[in-house]
Amino acid sequence: MKRRDFLKGCMICGAASSLGISKKAWGSGSFEGYPEGMGVLVDLTRCIGCRSCEAACNKEQQLPEPKVPFDDQSVFEEKRRPSEEAYTVVNRYEQKGGPVYRKIQCNHCNEPACLTSCFVNAYTKTKEGAVIYNSKVCVGCRNCMIACPFNVPGYSYSSATNPVVKKCILCYDTRLKYGKPPACVEICPQEVLTFGYRKDLIKIGHERIRETPDKYVDHIYGEKEVGGTGWLYLSSVPFDKVGFDNTLGNEPIISNVKEFLGTVPMVLTIWPALFTGFHLLSTRKKGHGDDHGHDAHSKSEQEDAKK
Amino acid sequence: MKAYKANGVEIVDSLYKDGGKKKWNLMEKLLLGLTPRQYIAQALRNPFNWILAVIFAIGIPIILGRFFFGLGWVTHSSNDYPWGMFLGFGLFAMVPLSSSGFQLGTTCEVFGRHDFEPIERLGLLNGLLGYLFAVIYLMVDLGQPWRLPYPMVVSFGPAAVLFLVAWHVATYLSVQVAEVSVAFFEWIGFPMGKRGVRKITLGLTVAGIILSTLHQGALGALFTYAPGKVHPLWYSASFQWLHFFVSSLPGGLCMVIAVSTIARKTMAWRCGQEFNDNLDKLTIALAKGASMGLATYLTIKLIGMAHDNKWEYLATGWGQWYMFEIFFGVILPLGLFAYAIRNKMVGLVRLSAFLTVFGVVLNRVNTAMITFNWKLAEREIPHWREAIISVTIFAIYITVYRFILYRLPILYSWKTADETVEATEGARVPKKVILDEEPVPVGTYRTREERIIPAAGFSSLEKN
Amino acid sequence: MYAMKNWLIGGILMLALSAVPPVCQGMNMPDSITLDSLVQLYDKVKFDHAKHINLIKDCAVCHHHTTGTLVEDPNCVRCHKNSSETKIVACKGCHSAQPFSAETLREKRQGTKLYHQDKPGLKGAYHLNCMGCHTKMGGPTGCLDCHKRNKAGDALYNSGKSAPKKAQGNAAGHGH
Repeated sequence: MKRRDFLKGCMICGAASSLGISKKAWGSGSFEGYPEGMGVLVDLTRCIGCRSCEAACNKEQQLPEPKVPFDDQSVFEEKRRPSEEAYTVVNRYEQKGGPVYRKIQCNHCNEPACLTSCFVNAYTKTKEGAVIYNSKVCVGCRNCMIACPFNVPGYSYSSATNPVVKKCILCYDTRLKYGKPPACVEICPQEVLTFGYRKDLIKIGHERIRETPDKYVDHIYGEKEVGGTGWLYLSSVPFDKVGFDNTLGNEPIISNVKEFLGTVPMVLTIWPALFTGFHLLSTRKKGHGDDHGHDAHSKSEQEDAKK
Repeated sequence: MKAYKANGVEIVDSLYKDGGKKKWNLMEKLLLGLTPRQYIAQALRNPFNWILAVIFAIGIPIILGRFFFGLGWVTHSSNDYPWGMFLGFGLFAMVPLSSSGFQLGTTCEVFGRHDFEPIERLGLLNGLLGYLFAVIYLMVDLGQPWRLPYPMVVSFGPAAVLFLVAWHVATYLSVQVAEVSVAFFEWIGFPMGKRGVRKITLGLTVAGIILSTLHQGALGALFTYAPGKVHPLWYSASFQWLHFFVSSLPGGLCMVIAVSTIARKTMAWRCGQEFNDNLDKLTIALAKGASMGLATYLTIKLIGMAHDNKWEYLATGWGQWYMFEIFFGVILPLGLFAYAIRNKMVGLVRLSAFLTVFGVVLNRVNTAMITFNWKLAEREIPHWREAIISVTIFAIYITVYRFILYRLPILYSWKTADETVEATEGARVPKKVILDEEPVPVGTYRTREERIIPAAGFSSLEKN
Repeated sequence: MYAMKNWLIGGILMLALSAVPPVCQGMNMPDSITLDSLVQLYDKVKFDHAKHINLIKDCAVCHHHTTGTLVEDPNCVRCHKNSSETKIVACKGCHSAQPFSAETLREKRQGTKLYHQDKPGLKGAYHLNCMGCHTKMGGPTGCLDCHKRNKAGDALYNSGKSAPKKAQGNAAGHGH
């Protein structure tokens, strides 16, 4: 009886252990982005806060009508963030030499935290570098919003029947796939946004810093932060003064989670044997009727045995 | 209910009534052996039910409204604070308190400590209901709850920690249902089912341990996705999952102590002999386990702080809040447990258990809501509708808990056929049995002596 | 005799005039240029070239080194100390109207001999060059100061006639 129980126990544990296994590969080095991955270099020294990018995005992605016109500068009085109604926003930061404007949108990271946290695999990093999402499988757990270190994804809370995550997709469906640049890039009058292959943009960014070193802080934000992002920023003032988070570090977010994910297979394989072993060790000394094993001790077993 | 029992109304506690002659039918079992009028009367007399009625009257329409009008109607639609009370309190706090299922199952079945059996079923039920309602809170919180099965069948994202949580909670719920089904089958009168489940109990229990370890830890690992967003005192890059797992151990055990205390106080009529006799002893034994858990937790917390060199945060406002949580939730209960266990003071143990439960809940709410986004300028206070829904669902949880405890053989032992006959022959035979349909007004028991109407078939009563 | 002198003076003057480089004769320099690359959203811009020539005098300020004059920017002088005039001087000759299309980017990648990888597109070149100077010299800097929006432009910006219903009341809010 005891052996049978043991074998049944192992079978159930084996079945249980084959479920819910995290198939995360251990550290496969770092991902530098796809070779054909595109990016956008944002030169904050050129931005004048005209908000044309917001207007273009609004039309391209068929977002709802804004509350105020896009050439209204009064919105700069408070700091905004991307939401279900605006995939990109521009914020103004008053600095000594005049206002500095910053465009905020999804940064299309090389190793996106949103993608790694999604349990229905709704996010995809395309080979063009865009991080897009499939709203058809989104369950609405909003873990991606927790994970994004830049607080980018918005959620359509206003919808009762089909709320989904909303964020910039680099105009993938309507433009990127057809070899056209995103709407915001195309419309920017000051060419704040330079579109190109990410690898080339990093070189161009460093070249700009080299040619006019007094104009820029010697750092491209997004070159290495959280494993590298598709949107790269150049600024004339220190980045934390214009709302960037300087504490993020260069490791992608998934690196934090790997420690736990690594213990999962260990628990799944060791626990069954460990606890069945405990059971065998702790019940062997109880009584001589080993055939009944532990069953003989509880009242309901005695009753069952009688029947 | 106490009054009914004292007056000899036969409450369901075995498959058969009247000394093994007749089987209770399902309706009678549901009504605990009372007539519908008697049942409603005792329900109306209970002041706790009035409070529940008020909560349901306000809360249930709001829950329905959440599904009709969307999350925007019940939350502040915050993109910076996507997780609110439903998850922060409902899911993250209830899951560690429900770890009693696997702990008591392991104690009895794996380690063979059958002396814990009187409280084992309560622990298992506590676990099942806690997880069940955590999932119900989740369904209210999810944007599209009808898509809940998606990570199981439609689209897999196996790299995500939430994937593990989803699969494990689903599997573990099934394991717990199976474990509690033993009591259910007894009650329903389906011995074959009961035997079948008992045969795989060891396997179920070990599966339960594996699943629980991982998903208790995984809930903690969820916060490793947002390392900068949770305050450093509550966050540990390496040990977050361990913090959550280890704190769930005392959480579950103390929840059982808490529930058993409340049950003994409010449902004394339902508590069986074995339960009553052993409860104090078992409470102290559970407290021993809980103190081990608390001590380990404290140690790991200290190691976590030293590992990342966070001591300077203690000097801040957040640091004071942290010390409040650690003192009242961990250190004070630990000290009280040590003193009370040594001196066998069950009352103090119980107080300490309630403190521990509070501490675990506070820890989860702190990590998920209060210290979340500590760097942002604005804190979010949940929408009032969110708070009402959370309270309502908790009230439903209590109601379901009570419903099951009233009926299933959890707090008492299901009498076997032999015992039923023994009990009615040897035990005190009730003198007054009210069998007619007339309503039972309050306070008139003693005046109804002239209304005894022995019904046909109750032959054993004719002895007096 | 005096008639001969007049003819002589006239002839010498003509010769002297023809010795002046053709560029300075103003033969290829338009007085006014119509910029219409943004007609979808904005009305055509009438750019007063003659006024700017009189104001700035040095062609290199706007045309970099392409007019053959000495350029002052140290980053340009490195290579273009002795550069002569290029064939096309107009902005659109070097600055592409579609700088980010797939073909342009591919060409850029392959044309590794091309030094100027960071060349702005036409729209960017206009605004960066013009606005830079206007900001320093006090010229027009507002979007609508140089080009008026047409109906499609208004629709894009949800402004003017296409403003959201509530905002149309305070129309003073837009424009700089």
